Amino acid sequence: MKQRVVLLSSLIFFMIALLPGLALSQPKAKFEQPVLITSAGQSADVTIAGMLFKKANVQAKAIALAKATDLDGVKTLVVVAGFSSKGLGAAGISREQELARVKSLLAAAQEKKLKVVMLHIGGKARRGNQSDDFNKMAAEASSYLLVVKQGDEDQFFSKIAAEKKIPIDLVDKIADAVQPVGNAFAK
Amino acid sequence: MNRHHIMAVALLVAVALVCTLAAREFVSMYRPDEIIPGPGVKTVGALSKYLGNLIGTSSDASVYYLDSGKPGATVLVLGGTHPNEPAGFMTAVVLTEHVTVLEGKLIVIPQVCASGFTCTDPLEGYPQSYSVQSKSKVRTFRFGSRGSNPIAEWPDPLVFLQYPSGQQLSGNETRNLNRSYPGRSEGTVTERIAYAVMQLIDREKVDYAFDLHEAAPEIPIINAIVTHEKGKDIAASALFTLETENLQFALEMSPVNFHGLSHREWGDRSSVFPFLMETSNPIQGRLRGKTEEALILQGTDEKYKEAAHLGTMRITYELTGEPLARRVGRHLRGFQAILNASMEAAPEKRIVLQGLPTYEQMLERGVGAYLK
Repeated sequence: MKQRVVLLSSLIFFMIALLPGLALSQPKAKFEQPVLITSAGQSADVTIAGMLFKKANVQAKAIALAKATDLDGVKTLVVVAGFSSKGLGAAGISREQELARVKSLLAAAQEKKLKVVMLHIGGKARRGNQSDDFNKMAAEASSYLLVVKQGDEDQFFSKIAAEKKIPIDLVDKIADAVQPVGNAFAK
Repeated sequence: MNRHHIMAVALLVAVALVCTLAAREFVSMYRPDEIIPGPGVKTVGALSKYLGNLIGTSSDASVYYLDSGKPGATVLVLGGTHPNEPAGFMTAVVLTEHVTVLEGKLIVIPQVCASGFTCTDPLEGYPQSYSVQSKSKVRTFRFGSRGSNPIAEWPDPLVFLQYPSGQQLSGNETRNLNRSYPGRSEGTVTERIAYAVMQLIDREKVDYAFDLHEAAPEIPIINAIVTHEKGKDIAASALFTLETENLQFALEMSPVNFHGLSHREWGDRSSVFPFLMETSNPIQGRLRGKTEEALILQGTDEKYKEAAHLGTMRITYELTGEPLARRVGRHLRGFQAILNASMEAAPEKRIVLQGLPTYEQMLERGVGAYLK
């Protein structure tokens, strides 16, 4: 009897210990490939996201300044949110022009009934006044949010997810995002 | 001799004494810092090798060549582009004094803006130097200014017209090396330094070039790697590696229309892959309190601690401070990660270093443990 109790307790303990991992590995929604990755705010995180999708074996192309016409043949739009003044300089556009581009791209995706996924992987560096307009716009238009925890210390994304009933995964670091990306886009 | 005469003589003596003491302080800033070439250094040269008219000027920097004699990549590291950013300089000194190259070639210029080490910026109250206990003795290094010494390049124009872009910047930026690339051979002193660096990159066929910086904790581009578009995949790959080691770096792209910067002009005008790295340095910040040597070395500041704690503004400041060892450790680790990523991208261009301290070793033992 004592042996059974120990065995049962161990089993329960083991399952509880596995719960967070299971929660993360359960895809909140399924998304189709091919994927177009774009930026909202022109941070270089879009390059890192491209690498992340490659590691997750998801067919994706990254166009930092994607337009509505780039959505042809695409099944899912991934928006990497976060502002970078250097990135806007590199793109040669203003913040207002970038806001307008993202707004119009999201509208086009909605019109084409494409699902949108938001990635926020830049942590605190991609938060604050300059970034949050992009973060909010992208998050509210998305069907799934994948966020590196440091960028959600004030529950900015968690609150949007709760209000809009959008599934969200929080990961400790960028490298930890490979698995949820793989799960979300699993064929 | 009446009372007035005595007073006048006393006053003259006092003025002479103050002038002598001030002159000694002034001249002491021209005494070069001791950089002791390590076992990896095969040759020591000067920047004037690449532009003759720098010979004999306070802007002629020492160049250290660490050559394995085996084929591979050629890598350039610049410290002291801004001499008030000591982690960039100290990282270059650690490379010069402690590292050996097993494959490829490493060229290090620890004080590329050499005349900037001969003064500090006015009205900042910066200490003139800081000391580090090395393996053998106490080593003292100068804390310089952001740009070239105004004496080397007087006067500043009202508006700085960047060459050749014609971009307009505030006048004092004329002495900022990181606004002066590609420079010109007969330009201002700072433009000539920039020109010499460009010549070095071309003549030595540099494959990867690093410009090491620091910035105030409230500056948005911090703990970051900035690169030209051609270096973005290498930088992103390095960033991935660094992140798995819990070292977070932001990746920033070089603005196309902001001219004069190393990561823009080196990338546009040569075959080199340029990388600029930034760490968080409280002594450069506007919120800082007491401005003294300890702030350079320990990087602890009550005002930044309070600001970080309040969280009302985005600053990059660890509550335990931003010590020099951590800042140098970040530069060294970022440097190694980028080199590793570049070797993955181009395996024929190898550079193998021996004796490069890890981030953890640097934190544990401090910078001095890697100086002679």
